Amino acid sequence: MDLLELARGPLFTGALLFFIGGMSYRLVTVIGMGWRRNRVPSKKNPSVGAGVSLLKGWLIFPFWPRVRGTFARNPVIYIAGFLFHLGLFLIVLFGAAHMLVWKDLLGFGWPTIPLPFIDGLTVAVILALIALAFNRLAHPVVRKLTRPGDWLNLLFVALPFITAFMLAHGIGPRYERMFAVHVLTVDWLLVWIPLSRISHFVFYFFSRTNYGAQYARRGATS
Amino acid sequence: MPARETIYESWTRQGITRRGFLKLSAVLTASLGLEYSGVTKVQAALQSNALLPVIWLEFQDCAGCSESLTRSHNPTLVDLVLNSLTIDYHETLMTAAGFQAEASKTQAMQDYAGEYILVVEGAIPDGTNGYCTIGGKAAKDILTDAAKNAAAVIAVGNCATFGGLPKANPNPTDAGGVWDFIDKNKVVNIPGCPPIPETMTNTIAYYALFHKLPELDDKRRPMAFYQHTIHERCLRRAFYAEGKFAASFDDEGYRNGWCLYKLGCKGPITYNACAGLKWNQGVSFPVESGHPCLGCSEPNFWDGGGFYEGLSSPLDEPTLVAVLGAAAAGAAIGAGMVAANRAQKKKAQQAEGKGEA
Repeated sequence: MDLLELARGPLFTGALLFFIGGMSYRLVTVIGMGWRRNRVPSKKNPSVGAGVSLLKGWLIFPFWPRVRGTFARNPVIYIAGFLFHLGLFLIVLFGAAHMLVWKDLLGFGWPTIPLPFIDGLTVAVILALIALAFNRLAHPVVRKLTRPGDWLNLLFVALPFITAFMLAHGIGPRYERMFAVHVLTVDWLLVWIPLSRISHFVFYFFSRTNYGAQYARRGATS
Repeated sequence: MPARETIYESWTRQGITRRGFLKLSAVLTASLGLEYSGVTKVQAALQSNALLPVIWLEFQDCAGCSESLTRSHNPTLVDLVLNSLTIDYHETLMTAAGFQAEASKTQAMQDYAGEYILVVEGAIPDGTNGYCTIGGKAAKDILTDAAKNAAAVIAVGNCATFGGLPKANPNPTDAGGVWDFIDKNKVVNIPGCPPIPETMTNTIAYYALFHKLPELDDKRRPMAFYQHTIHERCLRRAFYAEGKFAASFDDEGYRNGWCLYKLGCKGPITYNACAGLKWNQGVSFPVESGHPCLGCSEPNFWDGGGFYEGLSSPLDEPTLVAVLGAAAAGAAIGAGMVAANRAQKKKAQQAEGKGEA
């Protein structure tokens, strides 16, 4: 069994199962944290607050009047964060090679985006991650909040994109080896996600709706 | 020991003129992938080198590689291999059979010790499990005996090189390739299922002329033929870059001749000369004629995922039971943690309560 077979075979399966198990563990521990019952009458409808907060989470757009402040406060985080997330989703879902992974796992496929666009998005994602890394150093508040795990998050998320770019452009070792390295970085990311704050892609929605509901109870329109 | 005539003498005996000889040596130089300046070296070698004796062994094979060899479209090289080179033992091509054939092989091995080329076709079962014996002798022993005094060993086809179909899971005969059984440094691998005829003939011709192995890659394949992937030279490559793929064997993309990546093409990781040399007198090659590359010149190609499954797709996707099991295990551990935390909290509160009292 060569490196590529190992990465595509048992390591991927193991990483995926660890990811599923790990996320399930974290979800249960968050839900079971033990919320205290709030007996104070709500000033506004908590469900509406949760909904509005969730919608705002989705509708992040620089000139959307309600969130303009977010952009003005730190344009780097805003633009780089936006580019990174957009690129990530488009690449993972609509890259031809990635769609084939989903097709294999789910049993159905969908149309994909041409390679040059995916390539451009990959570059955008890498640049965005570099900008976010600089922002961590430059912004005094973010710097204070940064822990070693955050640097590892940036690194482990960047590696699949960097290796993918090298793979697509024939930089480094021969295709099959670079391909194996790329898959290995993804396998590792699957293991790392439940152990890190990258798991926010699930918990983000819980925390947003929770905060929205809490604000509504206190009468604030979120 | 039989008289050894040179390749040139053999050709002139067959009626090839001096002009014909010059032409043929130019063709030969080009087909070996040498520079034009190599012509004089090739001519000198043809005139001085004796005919190269070849012993061709077949083990767990389908004779497809021999079939491929006989379809070599370059007549010069077929002549070179089948006539000018003396094939002293080839189970499919020789007329002798039984003890007579074995005697012929033993004789050739004695007469040309240290000089003959051993070509092996088919996988070799390990040990004495009774699979694949000839005249009561195990394939492994036949191979090691013949390889001992061979000048070079050329493994042809995926079975002889990497174990091929016989080695595929569950490998009932414990089969392997030639290099699993003898000194690797003596072996040249010409994988493929079958290999392109010219890759076999040209490699043998190279040895006949220069008495050394051609430049090899890390899998001991001649660089002249296995330097580039199918994908690198593919005529559908532009469609790959454009993102134009056939998604099934009957859709518009397929009819338009678009890239076969989504149909499971293994071209990007398969090193072979199909897209350059092509098959059947340069007519076409699998991807050109509409079928994704199977990756037949790479190790474990039978077990490397389904032929029609994407190159990037996982090799063994987890079952629903495994997924649900993992989720349930995670949830159970999580629930355990929650219960433990709550118990601890309760205990702490009770202790606090007692303290206040």
